[in-house]
Amino acid sequence: MILFDFELERPDTAADAVALLGRLRGDARLLAGGTDLMPNMRAELVKPGVLVSLGAIAPEAPATLPDGSLRVDAFSRLADLERSGVVHARAPMLAESARAVGGNQVREMGTLGGNLCQESRCLYFNQRHDYQFAARCYKLGGERCYPFPTNKRDTCWSVYMSDVAPALVALGADVEILSEAGGRRIPVEELFTGSGLAPLALDGAELIRAAIVPAPAPRTGWAFHKSTVRGGLEFGMAVIAVTLALADDGKTCAGARIAVGAVRERPVRASAAERVLAGAVPEDARLAEAAAAAAKEVNPLPHHGFTKRYLMDNIRVHLRRTLARALERARGARG
Amino acid sequence: MSDLNYVGKSWRRKDGPDKVTGKAVYAQDVKLPGTLAGRILRSPHPHARIARIDTSRARALPGVKAVITVDDTKGIRHGFVETPRYPADQEVLARGKVVYVGEEVAAVAAVDQITALKAVELIEVEYEELPAVFDPVEAMKPGAPEVHPSHPKVTDPYANVGGKSETEWGDVERGFAESDYVREDRFESHLRTHGYLEPHVTLAHWEGGKMNVWTSSMGAFVKRAKLARTLDLPYSAVRIHKTYVGGTFGGKIDLYSHEYCAARLSMITGRPVRIVATREEIFSAYRHGQPLAMEIKTGVKKDGTIVAQQIRVINNSGGFRGSGVVVIFLAWGFTMIPYRIPNLRYEGFSVYTNYPVRAPQRGHGAPQIRFAIESQLDRIAEELGIDPITIRLRNARLPGEALPNGDNVHNAGLADCIKVAAEKSGFLEKHGRDRRSPPQGTIRRGIGIGVSAYMGGTLIYPNGSAVIVKMNDDGSAVVLTGAIDIGQGSETVISQIVAEELAIGMDDVKIVSSDTDTTPQDIGAWISGMTYVTGNAARQAAGNARDKLVAVASERLGVPVGDLAVKDKVVYSTRDPSARMTYREVIAASVATRRGDTVIGEGYWRTMRDEPNHPSLATTKGRWTENYAFSAQVAEVEVDIETGEARLVKALTVHDCGFPVNPALVKGQIDGQISMALGHAFMEEVMTKDGYTLNPNWLDYRMPTIHNMAVSEDADVITEQYRVGQPYRTKEVGEGLVSGILAAMANAVYDATGVRLNSTPFTAERILYGLKALEFKAKQPKPKEKVGA
Ligand SMILES: Cc1cc2nc3c(=O)[nH]c(=O)nc-3n(C[C@H](O)[C@H](O)[C@H](O)COP(=O)(O)OP(=O)(O)OC[C@H]3O[C@@H](n4cnc5c(N)ncnc54)[C@H](O)[C@@H]3O)c2cc1C
Repeated sequence: MILFDFELERPDTAADAVALLGRLRGDARLLAGGTDLMPNMRAELVKPGVLVSLGAIAPEAPATLPDGSLRVDAFSRLADLERSGVVHARAPMLAESARAVGGNQVREMGTLGGNLCQESRCLYFNQRHDYQFAARCYKLGGERCYPFPTNKRDTCWSVYMSDVAPALVALGADVEILSEAGGRRIPVEELFTGSGLAPLALDGAELIRAAIVPAPAPRTGWAFHKSTVRGGLEFGMAVIAVTLALADDGKTCAGARIAVGAVRERPVRASAAERVLAGAVPEDARLAEAAAAAAKEVNPLPHHGFTKRYLMDNIRVHLRRTLARALERARGARG
Repeated sequence: MSDLNYVGKSWRRKDGPDKVTGKAVYAQDVKLPGTLAGRILRSPHPHARIARIDTSRARALPGVKAVITVDDTKGIRHGFVETPRYPADQEVLARGKVVYVGEEVAAVAAVDQITALKAVELIEVEYEELPAVFDPVEAMKPGAPEVHPSHPKVTDPYANVGGKSETEWGDVERGFAESDYVREDRFESHLRTHGYLEPHVTLAHWEGGKMNVWTSSMGAFVKRAKLARTLDLPYSAVRIHKTYVGGTFGGKIDLYSHEYCAARLSMITGRPVRIVATREEIFSAYRHGQPLAMEIKTGVKKDGTIVAQQIRVINNSGGFRGSGVVVIFLAWGFTMIPYRIPNLRYEGFSVYTNYPVRAPQRGHGAPQIRFAIESQLDRIAEELGIDPITIRLRNARLPGEALPNGDNVHNAGLADCIKVAAEKSGFLEKHGRDRRSPPQGTIRRGIGIGVSAYMGGTLIYPNGSAVIVKMNDDGSAVVLTGAIDIGQGSETVISQIVAEELAIGMDDVKIVSSDTDTTPQDIGAWISGMTYVTGNAARQAAGNARDKLVAVASERLGVPVGDLAVKDKVVYSTRDPSARMTYREVIAASVATRRGDTVIGEGYWRTMRDEPNHPSLATTKGRWTENYAFSAQVAEVEVDIETGEARLVKALTVHDCGFPVNPALVKGQIDGQISMALGHAFMEEVMTKDGYTLNPNWLDYRMPTIHNMAVSEDADVITEQYRVGQPYRTKEVGEGLVSGILAAMANAVYDATGVRLNSTPFTAERILYGLKALEFKAKQPKPKEKVGA
């Protein structure tokens, strides 16, 4: 039960929604599926005075743009992405990452935009603070960090756990951002600040309107992996998304994009690992070398009971396997 | 009775249609006009003195109807155990000091939840923090922060000991001296919780001198007793009403503070008060199961025969005794049953710490101690070059053996269970296979076995169950039973028994249950005895009604009672089937000729008719039950040796549950326990830091989902012996099967990887670093053989 009063607005258009956000400044929150926001309101991690519901605005169906890229409405439910034929054909990793989120009920309610804009998580943070950890932490405007007591006030190591974000990063996607001033388009990676205190680079009066996934280069393969304890209905221990393109010779790696989520304040690009692969023949040893490099550069934060050491080992092994699957797909992909 | 129509068959659950159509009424669904919202103020400190409580601002808030602290109570204590040695030790609200985070300090009743929350926030409490202690071994050290003084009868120089169980037989020292091989190991189990889906919820309404209560529980009569006592009301002034219950697993026995508070607040306001625990409260302030630390020293002969065992168990009982002094007794009990141990010394310490109070959790000590003993037994077997099956058969108790406490195992099926389990799983062909010849790839498969035994329906308040069967004049029956159906299927089973004994249809049986005013007293659904104890009471009650029907028919038909039989609501002569009367006719005749006797049967049952008391928790003296069930369980696991990720692939449960009154319900219990045990083994852990709970939600406390369920096969042994003549000699099946399988999983992980885990849970991390340690060891140069000795 949410134990404070708030108002609810239901604008008919996205333009009205941003207008409302602009007018209410700070006191308002967008409500999409509510699967992240509602639990956080119940725990009083946020106490907005007004919720601006997107529920009256029907999402557009995913569509292919003239340049071959795929535009997906951010108000789409994750379950719709999972079921969409166009998404499966054009950006199957997006569908798979959507399917990795939570359980059926969460995906039927949860949206793409909400997934990207979800709050970062920490065991000490994600609970009511009536009698447990009652003194506020940095992220809640207080004076301490419970899990990392030596952290300074500008450092919060809560982790950003979206399953979809790493997939979009690996796909090289952009997001369309709408504000009263109009729209702008930025690479997904620029959506994130890298700070656990406020993980999103959105101003309170902006919303995400769409994600745009470019058409893949020829001979590109992809693979996605979510490490978990029970295989579902669970945030990831680590989330791995990769795309890998082969050169004309069908042997050399033309380039790879590797993103690792759930282990830092933002989805992390493993650029050093990408460089290990680019221009090389991705034999097993190469993939292993890249995976080892990635585990190191990602530098996972211990979170949700997992140690840094184990997370590194887990990422190293699963990234190597994920790269191998992507490579296989690249070999089978159209040239 | 040889041809059985109702018992022994998988009848559909009586409560099934109500539950799947949403008609079943749970405590949360009971709506009374004018109900107030109750809320509890909880301690933010693990250990602190309460210097001052000021409720005046809360009371002044509009909409607040009552605020209580311990000063508004009668100061009557309660406890899971209430005996002369272990008197009730906990007040319903904290007095003077708090001993755990989340301890109940005050409670409010207000017109709605938001007002109740604001009121709670307005209560001012001044605390003086005290040093706290969380590790029981630390807590035992002299000079450790004192949660409570040690029990006066415990003479060891330890702090914070709330109770001790101690027993010895044979000569342990001589036993070790006579052993060919002795080994010592230490095991630890972790903090887990029950994971019932329905939260704790209580609605209480004080009206006309009567306290009406709807509460999610495991036994209405225990609740009534404790609530009446703490409220200082006569038992007859408290009525616990029936509601459906959405799971308990041990977590809803005993009195909970919110139950008292709802009742007391209703007495003060004269209005109904409902308190619903949030999931966070349940995880962070309610009662979980009990982690045990177990030191085990075992001596064996070369052939694996156990000669002597010495066991030391320490539990972490939290801020009060709770069931802590029971679990240390039970860990002894679950040690003693399966194997012959000629010489044993056992001591168990229940240690106070600054954690919430503990409750029983399905198995109550058995999963922990069986995990330890069965893990060690496998190590011993390996050391001696014996296989896991042979060593278990060598030590398994046989039918008719007497136990050290004077009980008899009667027709114990353990040896049969082990043999069948070994055969059905192909155990010996599979065991050691992947370690001997590692397959390609990174997946290793392992197999392991564990055994366990469990008692059914021991003596504890209210000690016995009674049942009344009222005949309707159309020949159908109403059954009054205090039994509570917490999902285990008691209403179905009792209906089957009554239908069988009365020869009427399942739909002719209507159950009225679990209401302290209208149904007879019942032991409750928490000591693994409902089918046995209440089931036999139902058998007697129905038999009693049947005998009355037959007696009336005998008079009317002029046929001797011995020549009459019953079938399909008809009494007939076995010599001349045309001499017959329907139940309707018999009952009309009974009313007409027996001064209005409408035919009511009564029955009652208790475990061990001659035993005056339950056994002593401190000395273990006294009998326990006449009803031991045995099991052997096999686990097959898969481990990814690169990541340590492991899962249970297949489980086999071979058990001796006595007569399975409803085989589908038995299967349901088995599968549920497999699922619970695999959660225990691989997933679930209540994480804490300094007494605060880190994962008070379903996302971060990971219970298995349906996708984690392993193939679960089962077989029963020796139940055939019960079919003829003893269809009600049931044994235990509801909680004994979480234990052998846990041990089996530990042994299977070892079999797959060579990694021996002495602590639960078996996380990927522990397995992976176990593997790395083995790799490292293998790379070390072998120490040169020493010459000479
Ligand atoms: C049981 C459970 C399991 C979960 N498991 C996972 C998981 O495995 N992986 C995972 O990634 N997530 C998981 N989640 C988190 C969450 O449900 C999903 O991320 C979901 O996609 C959020 O979408 P929503 O539409 O419900 O967001 P909401 O809760 O409606 O919104 C979340 C946040 O985003 C903002 N917002 C919403 N839409 C927009 C927009 N278009 N533009 C800008 N801001 C916006 C809201 O204001 C709010 O701050 C889980 C949640 C639950 C309750």
